[in-house]
Amino acid sequence: MRSTLKRGDKVIIFLLVVFAAFFAFEKYALSNNKISSVIIRSDGEIIKNIPITNNGEYIIKSKEGELTCIIKDQKVEVVESTCPDKLCMKQGWISKQGESIICLPNRISITIVGGNKAIDSTTY
Amino acid sequence: MNRKTIFALLVIIVLFTFGFLLIRDRINSQYLTTEIYSMDTLIEINISGADKKQATDKVVQEINFLNQKFDDFSSQSDVTKINENAGKEPVKVDPVTIDIISKAIECYKISDGAFDILVAPLSKLWGFKSNDNSYRIPSQKEIEQALKLIDINDLIVEGDKVMLKKIGEAIDLGGIAKGYTLDRIKEILPKYNLKNAIINMGGNILTYGKSNNGNWLIGIKNPRGDGIVGTININGSKFISTSGDYERYFIENGIRYCHIIDPSTGYPSDKIISVTVESDKGYLGDALSTAFFVLGKENSLELANKLNVEIVGFDKNLNPFFTEGIKNEVNIEKGR
Repeated sequence: MRSTLKRGDKVIIFLLVVFAAFFAFEKYALSNNKISSVIIRSDGEIIKNIPITNNGEYIIKSKEGELTCIIKDQKVEVVESTCPDKLCMKQGWISKQGESIICLPNRISITIVGGNKAIDSTTY
Repeated sequence: MNRKTIFALLVIIVLFTFGFLLIRDRINSQYLTTEIYSMDTLIEINISGADKKQATDKVVQEINFLNQKFDDFSSQSDVTKINENAGKEPVKVDPVTIDIISKAIECYKISDGAFDILVAPLSKLWGFKSNDNSYRIPSQKEIEQALKLIDINDLIVEGDKVMLKKIGEAIDLGGIAKGYTLDRIKEILPKYNLKNAIINMGGNILTYGKSNNGNWLIGIKNPRGDGIVGTININGSKFISTSGDYERYFIENGIRYCHIIDPSTGYPSDKIISVTVESDKGYLGDALSTAFFVLGKENSLELANKLNVEIVGFDKNLNPFFTEGIKNEVNIEKGR
């Protein structure tokens, strides 16, 4: 064995292994990213990016008003809002990637991204 | 240099080229996500590909341009000018305004009047046109009065001018403008080097190209509960629009009154609770979702088959109904 492997061969094998590992990691990172995050935008700008496993109550402010959302058991819900129509509160829990809660009067959006089970967008 | 060294160098060059291309592709295939508020709704723009930044800028510019013309809350818009001059004089408007009004009249005709942009006086009467949610049930007399102002034949388009014949008449493009804007966006996107795009304008969706997972998976909002009620598989570039009674509504004495008014009765429509349309034209899908909501299950299925669009809807008991072409693409969630 020893005599058949030259230094150049070893370098090539080493590089192949490095690239294979790199490709495998890339694929792994792409497909097995199991933890979703909750992206919160206020007036169109991302102001919070919270892993969905971070249970808690979050107060989100915008120029127009504010709302309180709860993250619990990998679900998100708006429980309080200063908006007049309260549509964001009526929307209830969301839990899947691609789902969002939108508060138009407050210009706040809460979207779940990442994770395994994916929808691209929601029609309403 | 001997042969082996040259071979080794070649292998290294090939590997690095692949690595470089892979990384570049990865960066390009990530969405550039932009959220803007326009057309009285939230617009979510997701574009991937080498030119995603330039394409997004152009899309935002187009949305703002069209909003300036169509927004009936702005005093400078073409729509406001037409409404303010109702019964007075013809108003010169932008070619896009002529185009969208012509398309709205076409949608009126094919839906037998179920979609009508002249319904604005009725929406106003029920309190759905103000931002302060002053909903109320009007008297029968008020409704009869408003119904007299709803006559598409009073909407006159001549050259670059538009006029409404009677004072008090008004148009509202809210049921077609988002779909129309998505049509314009679909014409812009091929001018850029892009991988794919998905744009959601207040529930009206344009899918462009193939999704990163092959087909696009679109969730349908649950009309009566949390999250989504099901999903639709979409292949390639399509438009998806939904109309339902859960977005803007009020409940009085246990009766739900929603923002979609039946132009033939003057009352909020209550035959079904949600309908989703998949079409090849944005303006058509947007307008037809309203028309189908007004028409109810049987008439909608018949019209959808005639017009070659696919629909999935839900009746009052949350039972789904479909056109044949979409049946196998829809997945209704169990245990909802």
